Amino acid sequence: MDVTAQIHEQLTKIGVKLAASLPDDWVAPLIEKIAADNQIRHVRVAREAEAIAICSGAFFGGVRAVALMGATGLLTCTGELATLNLRHQIPVFLIVSQRGSIDDHRIYQEVQGRRTIPLLHTYDFPYHVVDRREEIASIPDAFESCRLQKRPFVLFLTRRLVKGEGGTT
Amino acid sequence: MRAREAINLLAQQRGDAVCALGMAANEWWGATRSEDSFYMHGAMGFAASFALGLALSLPQANVWLINADGSLCMNLGCLLTEASEAARNLKHFVLANGVYQTVGALPMVNDGRTDYAAIARAAGFARARTIDSLDELKQQLPAIAAEDGPSFTVLRVEPERSFLRTPPMTYEGPEMKYRFGRALERRFGIEVFGPQGY
Repeated sequence: MDVTAQIHEQLTKIGVKLAASLPDDWVAPLIEKIAADNQIRHVRVAREAEAIAICSGAFFGGVRAVALMGATGLLTCTGELATLNLRHQIPVFLIVSQRGSIDDHRIYQEVQGRRTIPLLHTYDFPYHVVDRREEIASIPDAFESCRLQKRPFVLFLTRRLVKGEGGTT
Repeated sequence: MRAREAINLLAQQRGDAVCALGMAANEWWGATRSEDSFYMHGAMGFAASFALGLALSLPQANVWLINADGSLCMNLGCLLTEASEAARNLKHFVLANGVYQTVGALPMVNDGRTDYAAIARAAGFARARTIDSLDELKQQLPAIAAEDGPSFTVLRVEPERSFLRTPPMTYEGPEMKYRFGRALERRFGIEVFGPQGY
């Protein structure tokens, strides 16, 4: 079973029934895996903050939901995460590629790498980094923690996890 | 048509619809005092996406989104997503006055020339229209309420300077979450919150 299938399996275990996404190339295979699952309603959005608000609406429908995006997308929706989710204590679970890490040699990702986690600390948004296959099984605990903490929770997927040690992109 | 008149008419005819609101929240609270409405002052523009998520996850509910033109322009891409998802239980209303009402009626981008219904049609909405008068709204609203979604209805209203004097709802933040969530749990027999209340 590949990494994408393992993550998808954990989302199924949690009972996720809705996913809203805007792809980054690191999370694109997971998004397509979810899109192929007819037990999960997959919503493709035009802007990442749509995914945040869709998942927030789904919370009130009693449906477990995830938002998928890249780190750059996460930065674009901090205002919505603060004024909708933090203000009303609405949990939203985000799966985000941890772009800008030391092994991400893309110049247009380097600022995200230095600033994303300090920003989460500033907003007091919890996060968890999944860096290795054996940590994928922690996803249900992360999801439960999100609900317990009643706020945005970011699950980062690293390059090493999604691209492997020998990845070239 | 005045915004308050349009909102009062929507409130009278919403039937069992659950509502999500953008900048018209205070007016809706004044007209309905309803707890099965989510009054969204933050995340301007994204009440539309919130309503879509609610509609998709609660197909047994009629969901009405009471949006405004300033909010719509913050998130025009929502029309593509709504058209794509084609939720039959979602109706999108837009109060369009051409100004940013709550900050003193400053003019909006493009100075009133935008045809939002045409944008919605181009995005893929089969049912999109603009209504210019209260009489026209009175005449058309029963059919709009009865038709399948997704639909998109622009209500062209006059700019006013009195919105800020409309008192907001008497609760907010986490209390709004719990009142809205509990209202939906009671009405639809769903579980929004777990056994320990979170």
